Amino acid sequence: MDADALHRSLEGLRPTLLRIARLQLRNDAWAEDTVSETLLAALEGAAGFAGQAQVKTWVVGILKHKIIDQFRRGAREVSVEAQMEAAGVESLDELYQPGGHRVSPPLDWGNPEESLSRTQFFEVLQACVEHLPAAMGRAFLMREWLELDTAQICKELGITSTNCFVLLHRARLRLRECLEMNWFATEQRA
Amino acid sequence: MKHGWVLISCRHAHELLSARMDQPLGTGDRLRLWLHLRICAMCARIERQMDFIRSAVQRLGR
Repeated sequence: MDADALHRSLEGLRPTLLRIARLQLRNDAWAEDTVSETLLAALEGAAGFAGQAQVKTWVVGILKHKIIDQFRRGAREVSVEAQMEAAGVESLDELYQPGGHRVSPPLDWGNPEESLSRTQFFEVLQACVEHLPAAMGRAFLMREWLELDTAQICKELGITSTNCFVLLHRARLRLRECLEMNWFATEQRA
Repeated sequence: MKHGWVLISCRHAHELLSARMDQPLGTGDRLRLWLHLRICAMCARIERQMDFIRSAVQRLGR
């Protein structure tokens, strides 16, 4: 790929990168900086890059590293937020009866893998992640998208491992509810 | 809420389902969760849904 073509293809990726950086960082200024750094690093590294097919995969890989760097630079702010959220008394009581059964049984999602080919499904998924409280969303995406282990996540967020597991568990249950309500229980996927 | 050494509530089963996605469970918890999932179709459903959510989130940005 020549330099112009790569440049165009990188600029074309900017909106996607920005959206996901915002989702993970929960801070617009950090997201802008991180995406700019990513595109710059991609241009600088372009000489060593050959195939067009994997441009996106390659750039998203760079973005993940830049995001982790940004978490370290903003460590104090990130940690204060995580500690406050983890200390919050938000319980999951509304989902369960006193005996520990769910108030309403989970719906049958059929064959959910079919949704993976639908652009609208990912719109709903991103909106559901956006609706998580900031620290919960960060912790969740660190685990599931950056694929860090919980020891690293606790360290980056400056919280105990117990709080880390609690945030992740709540995030998963909330996302499950949100996807069920806004996708699997609706006609949208039909 | 725990019911006992062997039988656990759905709520506790969900906690274990989530914990298992982050680190291996101890033998006792593994057994209790396995047994619960054998007898509770609703929790088995949630297990599949949580696995699905993981695979969907990994595809973000692709």
